[in-house]
Amino acid sequence: MNTTFILGLAILVIGVLSVAFVRPKTYVARLINLEIPAWGLLLVMLAYDEALALMTFVAVTAISTFVIVRLMEWRDASC
Amino acid sequence: MIIPEYSLGLLVAFAAMGVAFFAMMRETDGFHRLLLTDLIEVVSLAFIALIGTDLAEALILPGLVVGTSELIALSEIYRIKEGYTRPPDAGLQIEVMESAPGILAALLVVYGIVLSGFSGGVVAGLGVLFYLLCRGHDERFELIETASGYSWALWIVAFFIFMILPQYWFFAVMLSGSAILVKVMAKMSLIGTMRGGPNA
Repeated sequence: MNTTFILGLAILVIGVLSVAFVRPKTYVARLINLEIPAWGLLLVMLAYDEALALMTFVAVTAISTFVIVRLMEWRDASC
Repeated sequence: MIIPEYSLGLLVAFAAMGVAFFAMMRETDGFHRLLLTDLIEVVSLAFIALIGTDLAEALILPGLVVGTSELIALSEIYRIKEGYTRPPDAGLQIEVMESAPGILAALLVVYGIVLSGFSGGVVAGLGVLFYLLCRGHDERFELIETASGYSWALWIVAFFIFMILPQYWFFAVMLSGSAILVKVMAKMSLIGTMRGGPNA
């Protein structure tokens, strides 16, 4: 059994639990916790040598965080 | 040895998926649901990653593209639905926010051009999109649309070369790879104008 793979799966489960049952239940806390399952997924990809998918996932995650933070800014400005 | 590993991964991914959908079911707030959609995307990508071959990469890349587009579209729909129409005032005025978009966009565009093809177009497009969102824009979008149209035509031409003159396959590969790069990049960068502007 590959250590990277097992570690990735463990972090994936921990991350999913931490996002699903987030405390305190704020948007920022949930957004930050979203990075944990992403790390698990990255380790799983690393275990299978999926370099292209891994790097593209990193690039896309940066943009999706940016989009959500932008939505939070609009929300704060209007509320 | 390979089959137990795959089964274990599949079991864990199913459990994670169950937890994610359970949280989605219990959630009533729209923004929290948007964040949970992102979580479900990550878990479903883990399912695909478990295949562990080139097929997995080929399936993950379009999955990422669709996921990003979906997130951008949903965030806009949510923003309009909730009536968040007042633009945010310029918040953090620090040097890194001024210089980061340019550097990050340049890195993404260069990496996208190296990748080429569909996924390269997406990565480069994300770079352009990020830059446009951060810096604003006053380009003429008919020009981007024209480039996109011509590159689409070149892509089709490359397919005809594959069928009619298969001995020039390498030229056709290069042609279709670069044409779809420009095509997808142009389309993705248009999303960067969703902030609104004079030519949008």
